[in-house]
Amino acid sequence: MSVTSKLKETLICLGAGRVTLPYPFKAEPVPTNFRGRPIFDGNKCIGCAGCANNCPAREILVYDVCQEVRIVKYLGRRCTYCGRCADVCPEKAIAMSNEFENGTNAVTDISQKLDIFMSTCQRCGRCFKGAQVLDELKMKGYRFDDLQNDRWVFHSQAYLDKEQTVDDIKIEFEG
Amino acid sequence: MLKNLCQKMFGRSLWVYHANSGGCNGCDIEVLNVLTPFYDVERFGIKLVGSPRHADVMLCQGPAMRSTGKALQRAYEAMPDPKLVFAIGSCACGGGIWFDSYPVIGPVEKIIPVNYYIPGCPPRPEAIIYAVAVAVGLVDKRTAPVTFKQMEFPIPQYHPADLKQQGELVVYEKTEHI
Amino acid sequence: MDSNIIQVILGGLANVIMVLLVAPFFQGVLRKVTARIQSRQGPPIRQPYYDTFKLLGKEDIESGEAPVMQRFSTYLSLASILAIACLVPMGFKAPMSAAGDAILVIYLLTLSGICMLLMGLAAGSAYSLVGISREMMTMLTLEPLIAISIVIAAIHTQTFRLDAILNGGIYQSGNYPVSGIIMLGVMLLAFQAFVGRVPFDISEAETEIMEGPLIEYSGPKLAIIKYAQMAKLVVFSAIFVGIFVPWGSELVFPLAWIFFWVKVFVLVLMVTVLAATHARYRIDQAIRYFASMLAVGIVALIIASNGF
Repeated sequence: MSVTSKLKETLICLGAGRVTLPYPFKAEPVPTNFRGRPIFDGNKCIGCAGCANNCPAREILVYDVCQEVRIVKYLGRRCTYCGRCADVCPEKAIAMSNEFENGTNAVTDISQKLDIFMSTCQRCGRCFKGAQVLDELKMKGYRFDDLQNDRWVFHSQAYLDKEQTVDDIKIEFEG
Repeated sequence: MLKNLCQKMFGRSLWVYHANSGGCNGCDIEVLNVLTPFYDVERFGIKLVGSPRHADVMLCQGPAMRSTGKALQRAYEAMPDPKLVFAIGSCACGGGIWFDSYPVIGPVEKIIPVNYYIPGCPPRPEAIIYAVAVAVGLVDKRTAPVTFKQMEFPIPQYHPADLKQQGELVVYEKTEHI
Repeated sequence: MDSNIIQVILGGLANVIMVLLVAPFFQGVLRKVTARIQSRQGPPIRQPYYDTFKLLGKEDIESGEAPVMQRFSTYLSLASILAIACLVPMGFKAPMSAAGDAILVIYLLTLSGICMLLMGLAAGSAYSLVGISREMMTMLTLEPLIAISIVIAAIHTQTFRLDAILNGGIYQSGNYPVSGIIMLGVMLLAFQAFVGRVPFDISEAETEIMEGPLIEYSGPKLAIIKYAQMAKLVVFSAIFVGIFVPWGSELVFPLAWIFFWVKVFVLVLMVTVLAATHARYRIDQAIRYFASMLAVGIVALIIASNGF
């Protein structure tokens, strides 16, 4: 317990400077393969309920409203971010994102609810592949694109809408 | 006037009491990490105290167990007003993976009212600092409930569980299942 | 005669207000420097002010065995420290020092130590009783040291008047102030224990016995107790500077005042550096340390009574 050893210790510690990260004021880089909150993509989900069967905390609930509509609900309270749902999903509809800033004052904030159309034929009852995102773009029926203002129009009602429904992509040239 | 000053100072110096009611200590270590020089949380004025009578915020970790439920309630009642409770980790928020096990009562909110939830297993120290910053008012919260509908379905839906037998008739009674 | 009394009272009040305003500032400096030594950004220097105001706004839960005694001992702890502040010169000659003498200062210092015992007894929980038993053992071996310093100064200056003693009275001996130098060394080594900081904060060990005697206090009472501890640092430093480091107090009024506070600041920095680099002592190690200091102090007393 000599005085000089304590002084040397003080000088060494002061030489390290200040190592505190300025965290909430500056974003923090996340390591690769970090498992944060799972994000459910409703466009890709086929409603097989494989994630619900596999979740060790029983956090994903499945409810059939009728033959055609199935509700898949993810409550985020007990989720341990293990990633088993993402592993087992056949359509890769669940992605473990990088988000870890999930603190909130209402526990229902973390929930995600998907209403899935089970794609059963109304006549024979067999499942078929429903409309994919690309098919919806083809938009069968009459089309009323606005030639004067060069904009796409998705529904006929929107033709009467004076504002643009779709923002044009702005491309900036360099230099 | 003094009352206003005291209430404004509340957010600048929170004294924290740590209560672990049966967890695995993973979140304990993350809370201790938050007090180290790297993620230093004392720059917000937060100090760890040893007695619930001195504390403003109780950090609960671990699910509420049958053996420690009473102790947790007494520690909560020993804290003077105004007080906040943070539930750290998925065990405290919702019971964790052990929610249906024999000694577990459930999440901490079955015993004491919780103000802020920090899910994770264990939550990163940055996640804990973020939730504290949301509580103090420095940043906004980043989660909101998400609902996605693949198709708008206008046909009324009759679920077999909603059909009830009333004498000769079968009656449709909508009850809220979800 | 009337204006004289008013001047005396105002002088005493000036000291008290100065201590009240400055005590949290020194505590803030202590926490900030501790944090810098630990390589982190610490709390802002005004943090103890925020802490005190926040504690004043909290609910006061009256638990413990004897709430009346709790209230009484809380107010007494702050009052005894502020009473010493009236008597001690802080940069200028205290007008109220004619109201008391050295015996009164020794009594008030011991009283502020006894308040901690009263607080623990009034609370009545097992942790506080352990804390006050340790505090009692520490006080028995520690309070005589400051009494010996004041008595040696009284022997050298042949009077009990405070303005003579607290003005470097311990160096006023005839040939060589041997006892003064010995007591300076002893008090420097034992100063940490008087102000109750690591490595000697045995009675309020936070992690060992859940804050010891303070365990049942909440809200405004806790604010007063913490304030008393902060003021104790300033007042003890003032007494130390008055007895042992008097050089520079003969200057003109503003310079002497600033110089005094610079000396106190240096003393607080020394306390901080020692507090940040040491671990807490066990009670038996601490008592052995104090007993050796006490033996050296008694030797110094014998030397002083023989004229050196």
